[in-house]
Amino acid sequence: MLRILGCILLVGTVAFGAPKIDSLLSGYDDLYRQVSDIRAVVHLTQQKVNQGTKKLEMNYYRRDSDESFLIIMTGPEAEKGNGYLRVGDNFWMYRKNTRTFQHINRDESIGGSDAQGDDFEGRLLTEMYAPVKDSAGNEMISEEMLGKFSVWRFEVIAKVNDVDYPKKIYWIRKDKPVLLKEASYSSSGTLMQTLYYLTFTEIKERLVPVKTLIVDEFEKGNKTILEISGISTDKLSNDIFTKAYLENLSK
Amino acid sequence: MNFLFTISIRNLFRQRRRSILLGSAIAIGTAVLVLANAFAHGISEVLFNEIVSYVSGHVSVSFTKGGNANNQVFHDGARIREIINKRVPNVKRVDEAIGVFARAIGNAKADNVILVGMDPSGDGVDEKEAEKLAKNFKELEGHFADLADTTVENPVCLAQEKAKTLNVKLHDVVRVRFTDIRGQTQAARLTIVCIMKPSNVFMAAPVYLHIKTVKRLLGYSSNDVPQLYLSIENPRKDAKRFADSLHAGLNPPLAVIDGQLSVHGSGVEVTLLSLRTDSASLALVDSAMKFSARTAADSVNPKKAVIISESLSKITGLQPDDTCTISYEGKFGDEPGGARLIVTAIAAAGSGIDGQVVLVNERDFYKTFYDVWPKSTVAVNGPFRPDTEIGIYKAFGGEWLLAPRSRTTRDVMKLYREIAQKGWKAIVVDVGSMYETASMVLNLEYALNMITAACVMVLFFIILIGVVNTLRMTIRERTREIGTIRAIGMQCVDVRNSFLIETGLLALISALSGTALAFVTMFGLSQLTFKTDANPLGMLLVDGHIFFAPTVLAVCFFIMLIVGIAVVTAYFPARHAAKLSAAEALRHFE
Repeated sequence: MLRILGCILLVGTVAFGAPKIDSLLSGYDDLYRQVSDIRAVVHLTQQKVNQGTKKLEMNYYRRDSDESFLIIMTGPEAEKGNGYLRVGDNFWMYRKNTRTFQHINRDESIGGSDAQGDDFEGRLLTEMYAPVKDSAGNEMISEEMLGKFSVWRFEVIAKVNDVDYPKKIYWIRKDKPVLLKEASYSSSGTLMQTLYYLTFTEIKERLVPVKTLIVDEFEKGNKTILEISGISTDKLSNDIFTKAYLENLSK
Repeated sequence: MNFLFTISIRNLFRQRRRSILLGSAIAIGTAVLVLANAFAHGISEVLFNEIVSYVSGHVSVSFTKGGNANNQVFHDGARIREIINKRVPNVKRVDEAIGVFARAIGNAKADNVILVGMDPSGDGVDEKEAEKLAKNFKELEGHFADLADTTVENPVCLAQEKAKTLNVKLHDVVRVRFTDIRGQTQAARLTIVCIMKPSNVFMAAPVYLHIKTVKRLLGYSSNDVPQLYLSIENPRKDAKRFADSLHAGLNPPLAVIDGQLSVHGSGVEVTLLSLRTDSASLALVDSAMKFSARTAADSVNPKKAVIISESLSKITGLQPDDTCTISYEGKFGDEPGGARLIVTAIAAAGSGIDGQVVLVNERDFYKTFYDVWPKSTVAVNGPFRPDTEIGIYKAFGGEWLLAPRSRTTRDVMKLYREIAQKGWKAIVVDVGSMYETASMVLNLEYALNMITAACVMVLFFIILIGVVNTLRMTIRERTREIGTIRAIGMQCVDVRNSFLIETGLLALISALSGTALAFVTMFGLSQLTFKTDANPLGMLLVDGHIFFAPTVLAVCFFIMLIVGIAVVTAYFPARHAAKLSAAEALRHFE
């Protein structure tokens, strides 16, 4: 659902003069590869119909060189101290109350939210999606206005099975390669979710979305606001991606 | 002997009040015993026939893919069915079991549901099964059979309560969001063709679709099978034995992919083998293999290893970090399989894999293998077949991974934790009988049997105390009479036997009366209807009625047991009476 780090890493050097979908995707991936270590504070505000608002806050650490990430929940009180650690193929959930680590799957919910473990992975778009072509073999890319911005709108389809959504549509600004909107579809063509990237900040000459609105299109009225702050791309210590560090953080 | 019976019966009637009181106690005890046993057996029958066979099958085969217990799929279903037919004789029915959590949206109302697949008219569903189905799912509106209606978009049947929660009526559409077997989020529209009243609360939670509909929605291909539940003729006797036999038959063969390796525009026939990447297998690779070339990354992260033989390197010119592609013929359909591999190491000659072979890390291997199941098998000749004697052989993966047989539900749970933990890439096949998969349910039957045993003990003491007390009083009252009959020539043994026959007759008549009382009570109780819509204990009822299942064997056993206990208990006071001397007895006065 939330390709959080994908958003963080979406920065502005895509060759918008030649809007081939592959080049847009690989440009995205190239930039994605350039950053390995990330630290940030993530706030999730989740509104559900008849269930009120739920706010989650977490510290997030990621290192792509060995496919690791660590999440430690800092709010609400009920979730505080719980955490998630992924190192390579291993993915653990840590429960503060029982002080135990439990192996979980990639699709496990994070802190009871709609975010899943695999949303926090760093996967290449070019490995997951390919351009959708029309019957004449032309890529489904067009020019549109999104609010006050002129954008490229293009469709991609999953070329591997292990993706959340089999079809997506992206809207990228023409003047700057900034992703503004992302719509996710099921195989039956039902619009399931739309992401709006609302606010950006510049970090090391890159525009990073720091506020994203995620609209559940299936169950109308459900939405999540994702806010990222305290972003740092400094190299992270090896000690961070360990059970001991997570256990220590949760104290 | 006849005169002993006559004396005994006369004595019984002579002390009518005492006989009635003691006989009533024995009769009530017998009735409780028969009733408790029939109830326990009834519960047991319900558990076995109505619950266990649906919840876990008498024998079950599960196929866990990707370490996710909810992802149950095996891509060569025909082969599994063939093994089942061979290994499990007289299998009544093989049911495909699918249950998937989904979010359902009705008319402005949403709820969580479970999509459950079923085949109401499938093979093995005989008249009896159909009757049972009709009993378990009472149609209120529409027809259950319409689940198979192909003219309706995804027909679904749901419970009255669920329809109320979702605010939907017959022929309304419910939208559902769920995750398919690939892990992708999907949506579908389900059309309500039947609203029913299930026989218990557990059956009210899911929504029911035809198994073919669920499989299609979840992305199963025609060759895929989900978890399988086997119903057999005599589950109590055969479930464990058949599970063991099936387990033995499901030993996986070595996984091979024979295909064309393409590099620099030329092609060569090769065999791909799966290289396990657990720590033991990687240690085996390090100790049993020598490398003539290896990338630095391969040493650091051998879990991504793609190792080719030195001879293949010479033929193709492939070196570490080079990319090659593999294409191969699939077992099903025309779609060929393929993979793109980056070579990470070259095994030196003499490592046991000299030939046209590529060892591929299990993650990449099984991804390819399960995407398009290859036509090649280890049983037929191919470009390379490893010698089973070589040191590294144990590091090669099979077509699937067969989990060891679990002995209890706890072991099964431990196994699934291990599957998630170890991250096995091969599909893990697990065979279980109801004794392991539903051992907690079966523990309930054990508990009920223990209650029955406790009843026997209580009854035993009632009889013991009653009979001993009564006989002591009788002997005391009849001491002079004993003296008289001894004086006129009655033998000691006849005196003793007359008391034993008297007690035995009393116990027999009482036990028969108690049994009759038990049957009358059972009839009465089974006429009561309990409304247990929201009570989980409702699952132990049949159509809202308590189900008693008395057996002739058990009833005969209990009657014999009670008579036996009474006679044995009476033996000692009777012997004491028989041993009285005639003169002493005649002098007795109260």
